[in-house]
Amino acid sequence: MGDSVRLAVAASERAERISRAVLAALFVLFALTFAAVALVRGDTFFFRLATEALILGGVAMAVDVLLGYAGLLTLGHALFFGLGAYVSALVLKETPSFWLAMGATLCVATLVGLLAGVVFIRARGVYFALITFGLAQVVFKAVYNTRELGGSDGIIGVPQIDIPLGLLTVSASSPGSFFLLTLIFVMLLYCFLAWWMRTPLGRLLVAVRVNESRVPFLGFAPWRVKLAAFVMAAIVAALCGALYPMLRGLVSPELLTFQTSGNAVIMVILGGVGTLIGPLYGAALLTGLKSVIGTWTEHHLMIIGALFMLSVIFLPKGFAGAVLPRLRRYFAGEASNASLTKKDAGH
Amino acid sequence: MHGGACMNELLESLQFIYGPQIANGLAIGMAVVLMALGLTIIFGLLDVINMSHGEFYALGAYLAVTLAGQGVNFWFCLVLVPLLMAAIGYFTERTLIQRVFHSKDRHILTLLLTFGLAIITEDLFKLGYGPNPYKPESPIPGASELFGIMLPNYRVFLIVAGSCIIVAVWMLVYRTRLGAMVRAAAWDKHMAASLGVPVERVYAGTFAFGVALAGLSGVLLAPIYSVFPTMGKDFILMAFTVVIVGGMGSIKGAVIAGLLLTQVQSISSLFISPVWSEPLVFGIMVLFLIVRPQGLAGRLGHG
Amino acid sequence: MLSLDAIHTYYGLSHILQGVSLQLGAGEVLGLFGRNGVGKSTLIKTIAGWVVPTQGSMTFNGVSIAGLTPDRICRQGIGLVPEDRRIFPGLSVEENLRLGLMQAPHRSRAAAQHALDQTFSRFPRLAERRHQMGTTLSGGEQQMLAIARVLVGTPRLLLIDEPTEGLAPMIVDEIFQLIASLRAEGVSILLVEQNVMRAMPVCDRIVALERGTVVFEGQAQSASDRERLVAAIAV
Repeated sequence: MGDSVRLAVAASERAERISRAVLAALFVLFALTFAAVALVRGDTFFFRLATEALILGGVAMAVDVLLGYAGLLTLGHALFFGLGAYVSALVLKETPSFWLAMGATLCVATLVGLLAGVVFIRARGVYFALITFGLAQVVFKAVYNTRELGGSDGIIGVPQIDIPLGLLTVSASSPGSFFLLTLIFVMLLYCFLAWWMRTPLGRLLVAVRVNESRVPFLGFAPWRVKLAAFVMAAIVAALCGALYPMLRGLVSPELLTFQTSGNAVIMVILGGVGTLIGPLYGAALLTGLKSVIGTWTEHHLMIIGALFMLSVIFLPKGFAGAVLPRLRRYFAGEASNASLTKKDAGH
Repeated sequence: MHGGACMNELLESLQFIYGPQIANGLAIGMAVVLMALGLTIIFGLLDVINMSHGEFYALGAYLAVTLAGQGVNFWFCLVLVPLLMAAIGYFTERTLIQRVFHSKDRHILTLLLTFGLAIITEDLFKLGYGPNPYKPESPIPGASELFGIMLPNYRVFLIVAGSCIIVAVWMLVYRTRLGAMVRAAAWDKHMAASLGVPVERVYAGTFAFGVALAGLSGVLLAPIYSVFPTMGKDFILMAFTVVIVGGMGSIKGAVIAGLLLTQVQSISSLFISPVWSEPLVFGIMVLFLIVRPQGLAGRLGHG
Repeated sequence: MLSLDAIHTYYGLSHILQGVSLQLGAGEVLGLFGRNGVGKSTLIKTIAGWVVPTQGSMTFNGVSIAGLTPDRICRQGIGLVPEDRRIFPGLSVEENLRLGLMQAPHRSRAAAQHALDQTFSRFPRLAERRHQMGTTLSGGEQQMLAIARVLVGTPRLLLIDEPTEGLAPMIVDEIFQLIASLRAEGVSILLVEQNVMRAMPVCDRIVALERGTVVFEGQAQSASDRERLVAAIAV
């Protein structure tokens, strides 16, 4: 009987994994279709916009690591996004090297993530939300008032670089290839995070969210697990931020505002919290909506705010949260059918 | 003789530099405390972080501007706006907060919901009033000398009125049966209900009260600061900091922390550029979170 | 007066009350007994409205109370003295008592004051400590406060859950004396108590609960019924 339970659990986990992979594959397909259409029409503006959506989707994915897995709502993730963008811009202005910029961002984000994490992880629930909100707001003001970082103008004139990837070289100035590069990068991040969540550490994270007081009995300190998630979320957001100056050729304090953090949270909620792939859909949806509504009225925030509230009330698990169970049932059914036929063949 | 000169210098700096700064800080502090009181009472009873509190503050200011445009006098606004805000708050609690209040993740869901409300409200301000700031006239122009310190009359009024309102709030919560109901429900809502306290209405009423306080501080501060769409966002961080340092859900804590932190901000801006006084205040909040995460004082209804 | 018919209650997925039917007449004291975890407290909480039954009907003086909120139920005249007393720590003794006046909000101010005065004369120790915070009282005094707090609302039915738990023997005597005098005044009481032998003398009827259903009903005065009740709950 223990075996059959274990088999059933394994089967349902497999169905879950397949469903998520299908959603991820669909997203890539959707992005590639978009790219093909944009390429044929020779459109630069929408290419750049879609690349930005991917980058912001990556930040939303980082927010989901905290909200959906660790149960920590961050209202200040623009901080790490902006950190990555500024570090990358500063490095690129000195030495226009993709790998150097990414490497420097990784180091700085790890360090800052650790430092901030050690302090903030102590805050629980709403305190965590408020303190991340506060820190991001203060850093925004600090950057805005620091002349060395360009003050309110930010850093402009970041050179467009060529990105050597072993055999081929991608130019950031070509919207199509940089879109593809960003897509690959963000999907790699997704695969890595999805894998990470299946490791024992990732499973512990969920255990901490569900019942923090029990985790010590398993022999782990909950704060270490949460700290790992915090640092991971910091790194992912910063790496996505590092791509931003390559795309736009500039960074500004705007990136650090609450608007960015809030948008990331909206993307997570609309797309589906706790799914990792959902936030990417959320980013596509939000960016799409903004540009569509933006053609009619400049007051698009009202509509987005209303949509967000409706989603919180009626669809709190978001798009992916609504689709995933259907997919899972479909694949679970298929799997049990397959195992039945196998058994029949065995007889 | 030399000592006398020193003494004189000290007195002069007190009179001309510190005095006005402390008094101005006190005036702003009153409004900060009123806003923080609204936040902390709502959290203390409902466990809800009201992210749209800043926008309710802005709404209070905008209502005052609008009513003044219709020829309504400032003193009448001071009464009318909180009443209007209370109605809006009551409606908000019944139609929005209650929808997600009974779910498991109500902390996060109510926070998100009020965040959505803040986005919409801010955009509505832009739609209705445009992005440019309004600067209402001071209802009490002029300045007078108090203890040798020159102070704008309106700020003196703000300090006096603010103190009265804070005392009134305290009396209401700690000296009336209505307040006892709120404190009881904040500790144990089931038991309070079983003694006949209409908990649902007390929840909505408390939310309305907190919102009315935010609106009131909007009306009071409008003549000092300008009225513009993002004014709530600029002010909310200070209010949150006060609530955290004072202890979430603590009335006493909010008053003490509100007055102290605005003094820190006000006096520190004599020595450092004002743009750095906000990081300083935030630094105090982080320090508190490390040393004393429960804040200065205990939560509403908890002893 | 109080009538429960086939009440089912769930806590999450666990099925606690599995079809409880009970009758309680006016002026009657009903003792409800059973081992830990058979659903005694859940039954009290269901009647008080803290837990909503999924099935069955519940009427009080002919009015259906199933699904009503706790404040509506208490205004029907059902007073609750809960397990663990649940005194409000932020409220003084007097405030705790004054809150109890909310049970009958439509009384005149004079009638309310009269009820309060009467309660204070009944519990002189609470009168002495009226400005102290409720939770600074001793365990026995807190239990008295929990009962007094309900009595100021002059309920027609009292639900009393484990009133002597964790109290010194002398205080336990006092509590049972109080219940006996309430009975003499004609207050209906539903009493849940671990101490079966002490509780029997103050009861009119006795009921045994086992795994969420009533397994035995009898008269408290009948020796054989008492024995059968003890046998029923000692399984």
